Amino acid sequence: MRSQIYAWNSQSGVAATSWSDAQTGTATSIFIGGFGNNITKPAETTATQFVVIEDVAVSPTLGLQAGEAAGSIVRGLESGTTNGVFGNRAYIQVRINTTDYFLDPDNVGNDGIPGAASPYPRSTNFQPCFNLYPDVYVLPGQVFDALVTTYQTGAFASATPALEGNQLAAFMKYTLYDGPDALIANKLLEMGISINPGNVDWYKRTLIQSQSAAPAPTA
Amino acid sequence: MRSQVYEWSNLATTNQASTLRRTVDAVPQLVPINREYDIFIGGIGNNITKPAETTATQFIVIEDIACSAYMGGAVQVRINTTDYFQNPDVTDQAGVPGLASPYPRGSSNVAGALVDAATDSTQLLKSFDLYPDVYVLPGQVFQILYSCQTPLVGATATNTIVVSAFVKYTLYDGPDALIANKLLELGVTINPNNVDWYKRTLIEQQQRSRVAAVASNGGSA
Repeated sequence: MRSQIYAWNSQSGVAATSWSDAQTGTATSIFIGGFGNNITKPAETTATQFVVIEDVAVSPTLGLQAGEAAGSIVRGLESGTTNGVFGNRAYIQVRINTTDYFLDPDNVGNDGIPGAASPYPRSTNFQPCFNLYPDVYVLPGQVFDALVTTYQTGAFASATPALEGNQLAAFMKYTLYDGPDALIANKLLEMGISINPGNVDWYKRTLIQSQSAAPAPTA
Repeated sequence: MRSQVYEWSNLATTNQASTLRRTVDAVPQLVPINREYDIFIGGIGNNITKPAETTATQFIVIEDIACSAYMGGAVQVRINTTDYFQNPDVTDQAGVPGLASPYPRGSSNVAGALVDAATDSTQLLKSFDLYPDVYVLPGQVFQILYSCQTPLVGATATNTIVVSAFVKYTLYDGPDALIANKLLELGVTINPNNVDWYKRTLIEQQQRSRVAAVASNGGSA
């Protein structure tokens, strides 16, 4: 089992695939969305892999008052327009196969976790008030994705890119269980036990103990 | 069971006070003071299609609520027609102030002009924790009500201030909702750990009864 991380930045790709205002309001995959840094194929688990997503985060947002000039900066966030919203007004949704994980209370899929609740990067100005618990399980053979949606134009980049929080970025932290660890993860799932490295190790120990406690076979 | 979040802001289009879901470059809307607005269907900002409610096979545990710390903002939880937060004399109150549970965490209680925000270094932390959690039983309607005590007007009438509210809850559905109800009957706190614990005890019980059945049959299944 291995702790894994995927960080996405909307401006990391070559110029042709950099994020633009035209993407505002559209859910875009951080893996294969065609903007920023991407990977070669959709994120998926093989038959011998099990993924547990433990955290997702996206660039934060801050509200002030309407009427401030576009391009103003507060706490490292830029106002794209004059509506008083600083930052990208970004959300991140987790999708397993074709199912969105986060729903509104009317059971309709929503945009996901707001960057104001789960900011990336974190700072004393922007602290999380959301933790992804229970974790999200990606079973063997499933495709998973993280989709970023923004609702503020002009705020994803500025003439002063040194401001970290001014970039549109997203983050996913997950643990990859492969080989025998994935089998154990499946077993724990059947048993209704949370899948985490501690419980996988505990299951291994019980297997070893039961093996050593068994009487030796006679010749 | 799934961890869920709902975020509300007083942002909508220029010619509408509220919109279903969110819209690009939305502008802040005025929220009349000292009135409670349902963040789901209150008619201001981003709303959803119908009142928030649980079906017969759903159970919701509200774990956190928060709102903007300025303009005297507060959030109240209402289950059916009953407000959760009350004064000691059992009269109504606005609920949890944004100062006690700020959203976003680390934001300031100073609202308004950019010139003030640029020099303001206040970083508020939460002093309120929603524990024990609030349970929404199957078939109940719940509301998260936002209210503010100060008009959301900045330096001039056109400088409407942006406010937000946030609720974090866990949705238990299907068999998990049945287990949540069982835990409620047993007086056990409903959280993902305890639901998993109950599942394990069910599985263990099933295994024990299977072993006992085999033993009573003289060792044959």
